[in-house]
Amino acid sequence: MKAETWIFVICTFFFVLVAPAYWFVTEDPTGTSALVMTALLTMLVSFYLGFHARKMEPRPEDRKDGEIADGAGELGFFPPYSWWPLWCALTLATMVLGVVIGWWLFIIGSALGTIALTGLIFEYYRGEHAH
Amino acid sequence: MGLELPKRARNLALGVSTGSALLFLSGCSVDEDSDVNRLAMPVPASEEAQHIFDLWAWSWLAAIITGVIVWALMFYVAVKYRRRSETEIPVQTRYNLPIEIFYTIAPVMMVIVFFFFTIDTQDKVLHAPKDLASANAEAPINVTVVAQKWGWTFNYTKGSEVIGSDKALWEATTPGQIGTLWLVEGQPVSIDLYSPDVIHSFWVPNFLFKMDVVPGREATNHFTLTPDRAGTYVGRCAELCGTYHSRMLFNVKVTDQASFDAHLQELRDQNNIGPNIPGIEDSQIAGLFGLSNGGEE
Amino acid sequence: MTAVADAPAAVGAPTRTLGQQVVRILTTTDHKLIGKLYLITSFVWFMVGGVMALLIRSELAFPGQQVVNDEVYNQLFTMHGTIMLLLFATPLFFGFANVIMPLQIGSPDVAFPRLNMLSYWFFLFGGLIAAAGFLTPSGAASFGWFAYTPLSDGINSPGIGGDLWIMGLWLAGLGTILGAVNFITTIICMRAPGMTMFRMPIFVWNTLVTSLLVLIAFPILAGALLSLEADRKLGAHVFDAANGGPILWQHLFWFFGHPEVYIIALPFFGIVTEILPVFSRKPIFGYVGLVAATLGIAILSVAVWAHHMFVTGAVDLPFFAGMTFLIAVPTGVKFFNWIGTMWGGSLSFDTPMLWSLGFLTTFLFGGLTGVILASPPLDFAVSDSYFVVAHFHYVVFGTVVFAMFAGFYFWWPKMTGKMLDERLGKIHFWLLFVGFHSTFLVQHWLGVEGFPRRYADYGSDDGFTTLNQISTVGAFLLASSTLPFLWNVYKARRGPQVTVDDPWGWGRSLEWATSCPPPRHNFVSIPRIRSESPAFDLHHPEIAALEYEDNDNLEGGGVADAPEMEGRKANLDENREGNDA
Repeated sequence: MKAETWIFVICTFFFVLVAPAYWFVTEDPTGTSALVMTALLTMLVSFYLGFHARKMEPRPEDRKDGEIADGAGELGFFPPYSWWPLWCALTLATMVLGVVIGWWLFIIGSALGTIALTGLIFEYYRGEHAH
Repeated sequence: MGLELPKRARNLALGVSTGSALLFLSGCSVDEDSDVNRLAMPVPASEEAQHIFDLWAWSWLAAIITGVIVWALMFYVAVKYRRRSETEIPVQTRYNLPIEIFYTIAPVMMVIVFFFFTIDTQDKVLHAPKDLASANAEAPINVTVVAQKWGWTFNYTKGSEVIGSDKALWEATTPGQIGTLWLVEGQPVSIDLYSPDVIHSFWVPNFLFKMDVVPGREATNHFTLTPDRAGTYVGRCAELCGTYHSRMLFNVKVTDQASFDAHLQELRDQNNIGPNIPGIEDSQIAGLFGLSNGGEE
Repeated sequence: MTAVADAPAAVGAPTRTLGQQVVRILTTTDHKLIGKLYLITSFVWFMVGGVMALLIRSELAFPGQQVVNDEVYNQLFTMHGTIMLLLFATPLFFGFANVIMPLQIGSPDVAFPRLNMLSYWFFLFGGLIAAAGFLTPSGAASFGWFAYTPLSDGINSPGIGGDLWIMGLWLAGLGTILGAVNFITTIICMRAPGMTMFRMPIFVWNTLVTSLLVLIAFPILAGALLSLEADRKLGAHVFDAANGGPILWQHLFWFFGHPEVYIIALPFFGIVTEILPVFSRKPIFGYVGLVAATLGIAILSVAVWAHHMFVTGAVDLPFFAGMTFLIAVPTGVKFFNWIGTMWGGSLSFDTPMLWSLGFLTTFLFGGLTGVILASPPLDFAVSDSYFVVAHFHYVVFGTVVFAMFAGFYFWWPKMTGKMLDERLGKIHFWLLFVGFHSTFLVQHWLGVEGFPRRYADYGSDDGFTTLNQISTVGAFLLASSTLPFLWNVYKARRGPQVTVDDPWGWGRSLEWATSCPPPRHNFVSIPRIRSESPAFDLHHPEIAALEYEDNDNLEGGGVADAPEMEGRKANLDENREGNDA
């Protein structure tokens, strides 16, 4: 994970330089805010990856001598299919249309959306593929 | 499959389309304003425009040279290294550090040179003082241009003995009636841009210049230029401003002082005594009264 | 689902009913199928946007109004831009990345498969909502795809089409952000053993960097859109002229808008980077240089946004001119690396290669006009004119469309198990190439002469007529090129099945080490990964071994602009023994 960390560190470095430079040259609050937020974004990812990189042993994909067999075993859980993304999207689309058309539609969308989101989150806590 | 054919046909097509394009282009430049020699640029009609044009010409020269070199490299590669036999295995080169370093550094240097010429030209074009009052004081003619959906109003607030009182003279355009902004050859004019509604853009192609008319920014959106070629030029709104954006046209007439004064007298006779600033109280426009009308002081 | 039903169209596999097909699509969590949905939907939007372009060009063929009135014209170019950039090019990236990236890193799927599908639905519904304005009495949004305020506020654009545009794009943008999260997580966490970062194919690098740009840019757009909608619907005053609103909107929009065009470009640079080595029979030239250049382009692209605002009089010109000039440097490096890949190679002009060469030819010109536009004094003359329209069509169409078709012809066997017909493909290419240049080359001239963009009309004595007519004829020629492609797609369904992993013969990356199409979770077995070309190392170890004679320092012990190759030689020797045995 070290290489990934370095990618984000390089980005952070750039934005940490450019944001103050932009402020001093232009004194524009809008662009400076956006650049500062960008620097914070890449800094966040850098710290997260760096922290984990330091704590963990190199994973098989970090190792130049990684063998395919090193990754043997269960890779993770991959949902075979799911209806919930469709319901979540339809309900959010309803909420979006509600903003445009009227608050009554937004409320209906929110109610249904809460159900859909709950369904999506708890889908694999029950039934055939329960964890 | 004729492996060579696609490449040759490609170059043939490129040649034919470029050639015919050029043929068409040369045939259609009836208007002496857009000469092939100036790479389609209208005839520069102000001192500042001349600087822009010079930078344009040199930049295009550099760009074309760069393009020709790279296209030539690609063409060469496509011809020289085309597959001649199915079992061919070329040298498996992965890198060449000296060449890579060269083509990283060389563009940096080219870009630095272009940057310096850019700043140089820019300073010559945007030479007006930042402060509107100072800019207005410096220039013998002041015009407050109002852009609103979908016409222009030109308020002459300084620039002729005809303006004896402290009111401006104005004339306007509408989509149906294209009006004219009158200027004097050789006389710098400070133009201030005001919009009561949406963003427009004041563009005169022959001045090789445009500036946006942004609501709220009349104190900063101003510029000074000196027309140096008599004639009548086209002006167009260059920022989408609604349904009739394409109809927001005007003319610019650069003439001598006497004709200009006569024209302002006409405006006074027509009682176009302003200022005519749709949507704003007169006293709020910086530069219209007092500070900017330096002629009397 | 049983294992038999999951196998690629093998003889004896039970066929599904239409209902089962529909359910399979509606509930899929397979990145390959989701990617296909993205590709198909994007292409449909491409055709819709293309029809709008034809209407625009029809109107501009003659001075005067013939086809549409001024208001509808404004709706047409607004939606043409919106559709092409946000509903075609951006989702197309998600299409290609979804289908190909997990295969190239040897993972069984993406990190969050349901989130993947959710992102697709957000794109589909958001796009439909945004374009639904056409179905309303006041029509679709007509304030230009950058929606400058105050034109886009409730007073100047009161129609519901504007609100639908804003909220539809917000929803689609949310899908984009979630997709980017998915890709970054997948690339960081789910690579196969031995696939270190510097053994990833360049397409995967470009996917990672593009996804990062999406995370930087799209939230700003989302915030700006909601603020605009608040102004329109809730009586907010965020973008009021008295508060400096117009320029605030432009800063926010272009802070998104400029990285957006690199989001559109970088993945397609990646596609071309995959294709050139295969049809040059050489490895990619300057691998690390390409990675560095891609990263350089991405971070610089965040710092150049106000070059779209040079004529507003509200931005610092030297800062943005300088940054914009700088971005030309890594782009040039990539260009020369592509040429270097072909240099000394054995080139064959199959359709993917033809499209890649078309991209290089076209993008070069667009890049040069971009450098011209980066200079503020020159921009004062040609900004907001057809010169800019020509520039961005050269760079965007040149990159996205040419590389899209290159990717289609290249990866069609991998995605579908069939090859697209070469002859039809060449007809397609030439029709498009000639049509494209006829349409857009003359637009440079038009713009410099003084023809503004977004104009519905011009005068008969303006001198714009002839060039506009050439452009219109070109546009119809360009549009007609889609027909041989659609016919090719249809015809290919009945073509012979591809039975090998790598029909092109010289594939390098991991997707060419599995079947055409791959099984449900992508690999039955994965070859050992000791370079960026694991499939090539597996299939042609003797040729891969030649690299050690033709290059210095590949085994470490010195600087080499090459991927990570420790242990590769031993692996190649083992593969050769395996082949000889």
